[in-house]
Order: sequence, then structure tokens, then C-alpha cells
Amino acid sequence: MTGRETMSSFKLGLGILWPACWTALPIKMAFAMLFMAMGTIHLETKLGITFLMLLMSPVSVFAFFVISLGVGFHFGEGVGLPLLFLVSIPVDIWALGLVARTVFLERLRLEPPDSLGVALWVRFAVAGALYLPLLWVIEGGATDLARSIVKSILDMDMLKGLPVAERIGLEFTAWGSVSLLVLIALTYIGLSILGKLVEGKAAAAQPAGDNYQGLISRWDMIRVPADQSLMLTAFTAAGAVLSIVFWMVLPVSTPHPHECCKPATVAPAPPFDPQKSLSKGEKVLKDAEVKIAALEQKTAEDEKEKSKGGKEKAGAKDSSAKSEGKPSQATAGKPAGK
Amino acid sequence: MQPKLKSTVRCTDGEVGEVRRVIMDPLSHEISHIVVGGGTAALVERQVPMGQVQGVTDEVVTLRGTSAEFTALPAFKRDEYVTTHEVEIAHLEERIHVTPGEVLVPFPELERSVKRRTFFANFTHAIGFLIGFPLAFPVLRYLMKPMYSPFDNDWLKIGNSSKIKQDDVGVQFKYKRKIKEAYMPEQEIDKNVWVLKATPKVLETIYQGKDMEFRDSAGKHIWTNKKDVPYIAYSGKCPHLGCGFKWRTHKTLGQVFLCPCHLSIYDAAGKVLDGPAPRPLDPLPIKVTATGDITIIDMEFKAGTKAQVRIV
Amino acid sequence: MDTTTQPTTTQPSVIEKVFDFVDERVGLKTLQAKMLNEPVPGGSRWAYVFGSVLLFIFIMQAVTGILLMFYYVPTADHAYASTQYIIHSVDYGWFLLSYHFWGSTAMVVCVFAHMSQVFLWGAYKKPRELIWLVGLALFGIVMGFGFTGYLLPWDQRAYWATTVGVEIMDKTPVLGDFMARFLKGGATPGQMTLSRFFVIHVMVLPAALMGLAGLHLFLFRKAGPAGPFRGSVEEIKAKTDYFFPRQIWKDIVGMVAVFLAICSLAFWEPIVLLEEATPDPGDYHPEPEWYFLFLFQLLRLKVFAGEFGQFLGAIALPGIFMALLAALPFIDRDPERNIFKRPIALISWIVVMASILIFTVAAIINREFLE
Repeated sequence: MTGRETMSSFKLGLGILWPACWTALPIKMAFAMLFMAMGTIHLETKLGITFLMLLMSPVSVFAFFVISLGVGFHFGEGVGLPLLFLVSIPVDIWALGLVARTVFLERLRLEPPDSLGVALWVRFAVAGALYLPLLWVIEGGATDLARSIVKSILDMDMLKGLPVAERIGLEFTAWGSVSLLVLIALTYIGLSILGKLVEGKAAAAQPAGDNYQGLISRWDMIRVPADQSLMLTAFTAAGAVLSIVFWMVLPVSTPHPHECCKPATVAPAPPFDPQKSLSKGEKVLKDAEVKIAALEQKTAEDEKEKSKGGKEKAGAKDSSAKSEGKPSQATAGKPAGK
Repeated sequence: MQPKLKSTVRCTDGEVGEVRRVIMDPLSHEISHIVVGGGTAALVERQVPMGQVQGVTDEVVTLRGTSAEFTALPAFKRDEYVTTHEVEIAHLEERIHVTPGEVLVPFPELERSVKRRTFFANFTHAIGFLIGFPLAFPVLRYLMKPMYSPFDNDWLKIGNSSKIKQDDVGVQFKYKRKIKEAYMPEQEIDKNVWVLKATPKVLETIYQGKDMEFRDSAGKHIWTNKKDVPYIAYSGKCPHLGCGFKWRTHKTLGQVFLCPCHLSIYDAAGKVLDGPAPRPLDPLPIKVTATGDITIIDMEFKAGTKAQVRIV
Repeated sequence: MDTTTQPTTTQPSVIEKVFDFVDERVGLKTLQAKMLNEPVPGGSRWAYVFGSVLLFIFIMQAVTGILLMFYYVPTADHAYASTQYIIHSVDYGWFLLSYHFWGSTAMVVCVFAHMSQVFLWGAYKKPRELIWLVGLALFGIVMGFGFTGYLLPWDQRAYWATTVGVEIMDKTPVLGDFMARFLKGGATPGQMTLSRFFVIHVMVLPAALMGLAGLHLFLFRKAGPAGPFRGSVEEIKAKTDYFFPRQIWKDIVGMVAVFLAICSLAFWEPIVLLEEATPDPGDYHPEPEWYFLFLFQLLRLKVFAGEFGQFLGAIALPGIFMALLAALPFIDRDPERNIFKRPIALISWIVVMASILIFTVAAIINREFLE
């Protein structure tokens, strides 16, 4: 008969927070994507920081605001972010409750007290609001310090000749390891604090009477909803609605067109300008007349040359030049065409 | 030995029934219980853990304890179990030997001759081989067709030597080369070479006292660059990774060929002064006519190798 | 017995009749039971979903890939234009192409997750050695998919990443030149290369993947799930449930999560091509896709400079590593599967993952240092 598991505070804290975050995540992601699609969230650092915040949100729901206001870190714009955290509250309470009851039954062999989810959420949120900003400042400070120290080491004369690729790798590994170790230590402490909070609730709890298989079956059945058809219908309906919203929001053509294929900006057709088209027509007619006159002149001169035998070429040229000048002057005098 | 179905079950004080069913543990793949019915057990089948079994023979299973102790055993609940046909547990059926006999199917008369079986089996293998084998060669040739295309050794006119004003100074000559790849329409691609009018000292460094011979893959002679011809044409691709390089003034090394990709530096003789280049610049066959027209055979060499291997 | 009541015979419904018809011919009921009622020792786990998720991603890639083939043309003079046509002119083409692109990233991530899970759970040990070997072959195929698919848009990024990649392959001694020419279809990359990469990406690799994945699943079924690496027999038995519906439920939640993640990425970070490929790289610095970046950065180290150095870093080292992975079930014969009791395994995994991460990040940082 397997006995009660001896759990350190750290293990207890981790054993509840980790599954609770993952359990709540799919529901929160759906809301996050909805808010993003509605344009109410604009993130500074895109996915990374949001994911982290969502993952931790039973503890970060207040800490988020403390960090934004107190430390002055700018997460992003938009009413969607605080709205997302607001929506996370009931989801997290539910997830924490489910996971905590499972842990109480299976690993602690205790009867879960009533409203365990709410009780733990309140404790976690307050602890997070106090601890996370602290973690943020310490981790940030340690990272900055590590980076500057490593940079100054690598700037030393004897290491100046280090090739670029090696330098980048060494630098990143050096300050990265320090930063990671600090983060691990701080996380360990944080989770132990959470574990202690859980132990506080566990101290007052009654031992669960069932045998091992009975306990397993109990937490297993918690996961089956009381009203299956309602749950399934609601879920499917919500999914179908979100899919339709997605179809409405999805642009048909790419939101980032390439230089090659920008959609042709159709210039409005220029309005019909009578003056313009008339003067255009006049010009065409003028050009045509000049050409015809020149042709007539040419054929006349050719005949003259043939008859004269080509003696007075200069004279013929002069006269042809003069006569060429005449028709255009004559036509210029004519009034504009009808 | 595993208890057989239908074998008699005996307690210390007499028969209690027969083995009706056998229950296996899905994790250990061993028999965990037998279900005993019939006989004095009559209406209630009882589940007997194997720990209670003292001995097993083909016909009899002997239990420890008395009939009274037997009747104290829990009743068998059929709906807590499924047959091995209704569940997939790896290798479970191989561990079961509870049938008191075998189920057989007759061997066809024609298949009883071992000589016959082995002959047809081997013949099948032979035919299979003969289907695949002749195809291997044509398929390989088919796939390899474009891999080793012969080189185009035509002379291309790239410009005139009057463009070169100074000795030992790199001058870029740009030209177009017509390329026809398989069935694709003929394309003209832009290429360039760097031509140098070399002084005897530089020529000596390049030629090392020998004329430069160019041969094709079969070893047939294509052209020889005579060592006293002062014009040198270098392929425009850097021998490191094929980037196009330039002629620049370096702050300490003077006038050099410099590749911007990974900063390989070569002097006028094409020798590597700095950077990751594995070999000096590649000279090409060059002909200069009396009127100064420069023609070359356009060649490309594999990048990144110490040895000079022609690929185009 | 009350003799006044009539024995009620319920007529089977139409569906039941059809089911019985098929069952009589196929043994459907038994088949269904065998397929679905597989006990998972220790219970279904979220850690086990990656295999099924990989299968799902592959199917989605095949579907989006086939859709793309309705418009894509694999010739050097049309590849770029047809890809741009899909992105700009075909309804939702940009979304489908981006889905296909991000799907390939998801596949590589899940392959690493799946391999890590199998390694950490010691599920490569006896009797599962063959599953592990087939899995390694599948890993190679997935990398091959990424490599061959990358070339198809025929923009600068695609063309040059492939050129550099194939040149690296050339460094293999003896066979390198032959293999490089085979892939390129000649001495230099061109139309022949595109045709070959297309055939490999669209026919050869999918056939190989489907065959080997089938074998992988078959071998897995034959050996049975390994289950958790710790826990008493009683604990394991108490938590055991069936593949259907429990593990399948977790698998499908995993699938929908990955599906939504890929859709989101496709929506918010769609594919944008660079200019069409040219034989001269110009100012463009060639770079492979992100899951090859660590190798790319490794080759920049001075210790791997020169011809032999490049061969060492690009071929020898990765080759030795893969050979080590293949030999793993035969070297590590200790039946212990608890990762916390296998320090060498745990530390090796951490070191390998950390190294890949460090080199990948270093490659990204290194972009700013390129002249």
C-alpha cells in the first residue's frame, strides 16, 4: 500500500502551479487571440513576454500592474491586456481548484477543503504581487551586471583578438549562465513560498479515507462535467462562433504585399475636358496640313528640277525654303477648326 | 506449466470444480488468477489467486487449503474483465498456453514437398532480382545525365587592352555569356573578370617559370598561357565561396584584390595575403590580338578547396 | 417468468445494420477494440502527445502542400512568379502558404520534443530499439523536408541557403562531389536543382515518411507503450486507462493547440518573399532556415576553418553524433528508465539542448556583425 508522498514546499508549489497554468492556458489563449484580432492588444515584445505572463497568471495577475507602474516596464498598448488578466481570474480559480484537489487527493491523501480554488488563488495572487516585482528587479539587475562584467572581461587587451563567432558564443554563454542560475534560485524560492501557502491550507484538512485506487478514481471523476450535454454544446457552439468570427476577420489578400505585386492604385479616370480635346484635335489637323503642303511642294519642285535639268539648285532650294515657310504661315492664320 | 482450461481443480479434501477461465495480469503478462466453476462450486464461479495454487499438471490443478477455504474466496465478476480479443496488449497472446490441446489446419498436399517449396521460393527471388537489376543501370544514367556536362571552351571577346592604363593594376572587364540549361530558354548572364597587365616580377610569381597548361577532364590539351605574355585574366569569383571581389587600396597592404564577403585579400599576382581563401586567384586562358582585343575561355572553379577543380 | 408480456425484439437501426454488414466481412468490432482499447500503463499523459501531434502536422502539411501545388510551377522562370501569385492573387493563398511554412517550423519543434520525451523516458531501451532507429530515420526525413522545401519559392533567401547547404554537403570525402552534383543536377545550382528538389519534396520524402511512419507505429504497437519511468506496480495499475478515449483526448487537445498556434503565426507573421533569385548574391548574406542555424554558426568558429575544418564541423561531427544516437540503445543497456537515476543521460541531454540553443542565438546575434 503506497503511503502518503512526502513533499517539500518547493515540490508542492511546483506540483500545483505548473499543471494549473497549463490547464488554464488553452482557454486564456483563445481570449488572447480574440483580443489581439480585435486590435485591442499591441505588444512591445510580441509573443515572449505575453506567454510568460499568461503562464504565470495566478501569481502575476496583480504583479503585472505592479511591475508596469512600479518598475516602469512597458508591456504594450491596448485595453486588451488588462482585460485579458481580468478574464483570467475565473479561469485560474477553476484551474487552481481542479489541480489542487487532485494533488490533495492523490499525493497528500487529504480531503480537499471547500473553495480551495478561491482560497489558493487569493494567497497566490497576493504572494505574486509582492514577490514577482522583486524577482523582476533582482533578475534584471543580475543580468545587467553579468552582461557588463562579461563585456569588460572580453574587452581586455589579451582577449581583444578573439574572433567574432567565438566571442559572441562565449559572451552569451557567460552572462546567460549567470542570469539563468539567478532565475532558477529565485524561482525555487518563489515556488517554496507558494508551497508553504498550500501547506497552510493542508494543515487543517482531514485525511481522505479511500484506498489508493479510490482516490485516483475520485480525482479522475472530478474532470467529467456534471452536465455533459450542456458542456459539449456550449463548447462546440463557442468554437463554431469563433470560427465564423475568424472567417470574417481573415483578409482575403495578403496584409503584407511585396514590392512586386502591390495592388494597382486605380487612378480615377480624368474627366472629359472639351477645351483640351478640341485643341488636341486642332493640333493634329495642323500637323497634317503642314505635312500635306510639304509633300505638294516637294512633288512640284521635283517636276521643276526635271524640267530645268537641275542647274539652278541654289535658287530652287531658296524658293523651296521660302515656299515651305509660306504654307505654315498661311495655315497659322486660319481660324481654329470647328 | 500453466493451468489448462477444463482441467480438474482439487483442494486438500477433494474436487471443487474445473478451470473455467484464466485471468492474466496485463503488466506482468503472467496468469494472476484462475476461475473455478462447476462441481461443488456449481452456480458461483470463484476467483482463485495463483498464490493459492500448489501444483499444476495437464489434467489437475491442486490448491492449498480446504474446500471451506475455497468457498470463502471472492466470486468472479465477469463484467470487470474483457477477453484478449477486445484489448490490445503487446505480446500477451504469446504467453498464453492454457488450451488443453492444439487447433490445427491441414497442410495442402502440394505444399508438402520441401524440394518444391525451396525451388519456387528461390525462383521467385531470382525473378524479383531480374526485374530490379536491369533497371538499375538505365535509372542511374537517367538521373546522372546533367551531372557531368562537358565544358564549353569557346573563346569570348571581353574588351580591348587599351582600357588598361597602368601595369600591375586590376581592371574589371564585364561581359555577357550565353547559357543554355537543358530545355530552358537561352539566357544571358552577366560575368566579369579582372585583367592585369603584369610586370615581369609579378609574372614570375604567377607562372613560377612554367607555362600554364589547361586541359579538359579527359586530359586533352585546351590551351597554354605562355609565361611571357604580360596579360593575366583572373576569374571574377573568389576561391573562398564564390563572391565577386574588387580592386581596392588597403591601408597597410597597398593596392590589392579584396573580397567583401569574408575579407579575403590577394595581391596583384593573385597570392593570398589575408583571409580564409584556400588558394590564390584562378587565372583563365587568355589571348590578346595584335590590335589589343582580349579573349578568354570562361571557366569556373570549385570554391572552398585548396586544389583547383574546374566545374564550368 | 411473467408469460403475459410479449418478448420485445428491438429492430436494429439502419446504422447498426450497416455496421454489422461491414463487421461480418472485416471483423470491424474486433479490429476497433484492438485498435482503440490499448491500455496505457500509468495512465495517459500529456507528455505522450507529441507523436500523434507530429502525425497531425504531417497530414496538414500534405493537405496545404497539395493545395499549393494547384498553382505553384517548379521551373526557374515561373517558381517565383507563381509563388507570388499564390500570395497576392489567390484567395487566402497567403494564409495557406504561411500555414505551410509555419507548419514546417512546428514539425521541427515537435520532433525535438518527441525525441527528447522518448530519450528522457528511456523508451529507446529494450525491446524498443527498432522503434528508436526508425524514429531517427524519420528525423532525417523531416530535416530533408525542410531543406528541400525551402528552395521552392526561388527567392534570394531560398536560392542562397540551398547553395550554401549543398556546398557543405560537398565536403564529404569520396562521395561528396557525387552527392552534391546529384542534388544540384549539375555543377552549379539551376533549373535541374529545382526540379530535383521538387520531386524529392513532393514525392520521394512523403512516400518514405508514410512508409516509415507506418512501420514506426506498427513497431510501437507491437512493443506496447513504455509508460512512466517511476511508480510502484500498484500506482501504475491504479492509473492505467485506455488509448481511447483518454490518450486520444489528450492527443487531440494537443493537435488543436498546435493548429491554433500555427494559424496564429500564419495570421500575424505571414511569409514575405525577398527578390527573385540571382546568380550574384549582391548584398544578401546567405542563411539557412532557423533549425540549421546552430550548425551554420558552428562552422564560423576558427577551429573549423579551412577545407578539413569545414568537413569536420559540417559532416564529421554531426555524423558522429547521429551515429551515437543510433547506437544508443545498444550502448545503454541498463534497464533503469528513471531519468533522475541516469545522470549521464540527463546531463548529456541538457548539454546538447543548451548547445543548440546557444549556437542558434549566437547565429542571430552574429547577423549584426556581418559587413
